Order: sequence, then structure tokens, then C-alpha cells
Amino acid sequence: MGFLGPNGAGKSTAVKMLVGLVRPTAGEAEILGRPLGDLRVRARIGYLPELFRYPDWLAAREVLAFHARLLRLEHAQPAIDAALEEVGLRERARDRVGTYSKGMQQRLGLAVALLGAPEIVFFDEPTSALDPVGRSDVRALIERLRARGTTVFLNSHLLGEVERVCDRVCIVDRGRVVAEGAVGALTGEARGARVRLDDGWHEYDVAADEIPELVARLVREGARVHAVEPKQTTLEERFIALVRHE
Amino acid sequence: MNVLLFASLTLRELVRRRLVAAVVLLTLVIVAFTAWGLHRLATAQVDGAPLGDAAVHTASAGIVILLAFLFSFVLALGAALVGAPAMAESVANGEILAVLARPVRRAELVLGRWLGTVVALGLYVTATGGVELGVVRVTTGYAPPHPLTALAYLAGVAAVVTTCAVALAARLPALAAGIVAALLFGLAWIGGIVESIGIALGNRGMADAGTVIALIFPSDALWRGALYALQPAVFTAVAANASASQTVNPFTVTSPPPPALLAWACGWIIVVLVAAVALFRTRDL
Repeated sequence: MGFLGPNGAGKSTAVKMLVGLVRPTAGEAEILGRPLGDLRVRARIGYLPELFRYPDWLAAREVLAFHARLLRLEHAQPAIDAALEEVGLRERARDRVGTYSKGMQQRLGLAVALLGAPEIVFFDEPTSALDPVGRSDVRALIERLRARGTTVFLNSHLLGEVERVCDRVCIVDRGRVVAEGAVGALTGEARGARVRLDDGWHEYDVAADEIPELVARLVREGARVHAVEPKQTTLEERFIALVRHE
Repeated sequence: MNVLLFASLTLRELVRRRLVAAVVLLTLVIVAFTAWGLHRLATAQVDGAPLGDAAVHTASAGIVILLAFLFSFVLALGAALVGAPAMAESVANGEILAVLARPVRRAELVLGRWLGTVVALGLYVTATGGVELGVVRVTTGYAPPHPLTALAYLAGVAAVVTTCAVALAARLPALAAGIVAALLFGLAWIGGIVESIGIALGNRGMADAGTVIALIFPSDALWRGALYALQPAVFTAVAANASASQTVNPFTVTSPPPPALLAWACGWIIVVLVAAVALFRTRDL
């Protein structure tokens, strides 16, 4: 589930409400069938905050051991090893967090969120400190989680990232949901097509179902058609159309 | 259970951040300096003759009270500057976000941070106070009448100040909470003097004002308990028979704090802790 919105839309605040850090001023909500703030539910969720910080005087393994005790995990060591392996931090697990780069701290945050195999994980801007390789790793991680049946609630500014890994998307603006649905339903085909002829690309204003007729007409007229690209509405275009206030 | 987890985290942090090492080092310097000074006192000569035991013990008693007075200020400052960050720093830097998203009650965090700080301060009082009193005993042969009671009262002073710092830090930044807690300790000390002056001069208003301050912030009452426990009987007798102007002396008392005031100090800590939990529970992070 991708959670999108412009700065100040209320994305992080909404996530904080879901994990029990901020109290709603009105309304009700449930998570995993229980009201917000229920302690039993909190044992079944993982959370990577946007502002990720962990005690710099502890080693990564100690941070995870502390969280394992908060979760009362019975088999803490294998769970800690698995979480470290998942985010690629196993070799630096005994180093103090203070010696980590920002990207490594974000990886540690992901490991903390994944500890105890939660049913839902909330990632608030999980790649903000990562390089392209790290971003790719996180995309792969999200896909592995999805394959295991874990719900990933991804709050991100990177629309391409959300488009690639999310099944559903929710767009919020000024504290309200302005669009919600499957990624395909929010993006999809748009009016227009680009056609490459001998002399280069040409744009045609046609509906998607009129493209075969357009190609047939061009061929009849003697043009040599090399490629046809139906226009697509990207998530970014849809997002900007929804949240731009002019 | 989580209370103990947070308390142990607080203690480990103090050790790992080398605060304990720094305090131990400085304490050893102070102890060595005190030992040197007391040794000089015990071996001092007047007109070629050594001081008698009675003179050495009387001087040592005065020095012990003065040291305890300075120690209570250091302790109060330490309690404020350790207790407030223990509570507020992890909130300010965001470390607490991932922790409180776990199945953890906020009350457990507040009580754990408080407990860890109080235990650290209690160990500091016991170790430093014990070593200093041991040095006095070895160098001069003097021992105050109730050393353990005095240390317990001093630990109580630290507990009051750190409880206040933790409660303030549930809503305020660490620096503001620490400074306010330290200032309240100073205000309580001044309140104790105002009360003494009021009693000595028969001024009911001043005496009542001092009592009100002692009720609002009971650290001075506990300091007076420590003072009474360290004071030799002869000092108490002198203070009891002193004139009104001589009674206004922050380094002597004529009686220990009444049991009701001690009960109030314990109740005060509980009430302030409950307030700290309530303040933190309703805080959006």
C-alpha cells in the first residue's frame, strides 16, 4: 500500500496515529481488527519512523536485542540474525550505531521494523538516506515481504518507487484522502499516441481504442510505421493533477 | 517488567557514555584532596603542641557538614542534569519513536527512566559519601553520629530533584527541565532559611512562607535531616541554646524533620511521578 501526498498533507501524522504515537483528535480507526493503541496489536506491527535514530552508544545487535525484549520474542537470537541478514547489516552488527553512516542507520531501522515477523510494517520514507543500490535493496525487500504475505504500508515521496512496488495507492492532501485504489486504476492509458515513422516520432491525438485504425490509416497512406507508443498516465502525472492547487 | 528494562538501559547509558568514569575520576581527586587537608588538620600543631582529639573532632565535624552541604548542591545539580536528559533526550532526537510503537506503556518508560536515574544517584551517594566519611575516619578518627541516615537523606534530596526533572522533561526540553529543577532546589534551600529566620524572629508570615516552599519542594527538609544526622550532639545543644540571631545558621539544626514531613516527601515523589506519567501519556510524539 503506497501512501502519497505533498509535504504537510498529514502522511507521517497518519502513520504515527496508526502506530500509537499521536492521538487522533476525532474519529475512530482499527488496525488488525483492534482499536488504535491496543498493545497486543503493537506486537504485530513494525515501524520505521521518518526520523530514524537509535542509541549511538549501542551496537546494532544490542538495539535489536532491546526491541526483542520489548516484543518478548521467545527465540530472539535467530530473529535478530534474520533481521540483520535481511537488511545486509550482519557483518557490522557488533559495531556501535554511532559509527554507522545515515544509510546504515536506516537499514538498522528497517531491521528493527522487521523484527518478530510483523503482519504489517509501516515504512515512513524508508529510502530517504539510501544510495541507488540501497534503494534497489529496499525495493527487493518490499517485494520479498509482499511475497510472504506481509502488508507493507509505504509512505514515500518517490512516486516511481511506489508505482513499482505497491499494489494499491492512497493519495492524501491537506489531511484528506483525495484518491485511493489499485495502482493500475490510478494510472493506465491516456488519450494520445506517439508513432515513429521514417522521419522520426509524431504525436497523434486519438483515444486508446482508435490506435489500430490510426496505424492502418498511416500504412494505407504509404507511411512505414516503426513503433507505436500509447500514451500512459503515470502516477506522477495523476498525483500532480490531484494535489496541484492553482 | 519493561520498567526494569528501561531502568537498566538508563544505567547502561550512563556507564557507556563515560559519565560514570568521569564522575569516579573527579570524585577520586576530591577525596584525595580532602584526605590531604584532613591529614594536615590531624597533624597540625599549635605553639609546638599537637591539637587535642576534641579540637580535631570538632573541626572535622564542621568540615564534614560543609562537605555534605557542597555535596548536596553537586548532587542536586547532577540529579537535575541526569534526570532531565534521561527522559527528554530520546524524545527530542527521535529514538523513542520506534520504541513506543512497541507493546510498551508510556508509564513504563517514565518509571523506568526515573528508576534508573534514582538508582544511579543512590549508588553515587553511597559510594562517594561512604568513601569521604571513611577518609574522615581514617585521617582524623572522627565519625559523625548517624552516617547511614545522613546518606539516606542525601539520596532523598537527589530523588526529589530528579523526580521533578523527569516530570518537567515529560513535556519540556531537557535543558529547560534540568535548569528549572535545579532552580527549584535552590528556591527550597532559600525557603528553609526564610523559615528559620521567621521562627527565630517570631515572624509567622516568614515561617509560613518557608513551610509552604518546603511542602511544594521538600528537598530542604531532607537536607536538614542529613544535617541533623551528621551533627554531633554538642552542635545540636549549642544551636538549641543560641540566641535568635545565632539560630539563623544554615549549617545547624535543632531537630530532625518531623515524620509527617518525611511522609509528605515520599508522597510528593509519588504524586509528581503520577503527574509525569499523565503529562507524557497525553503528549503527541
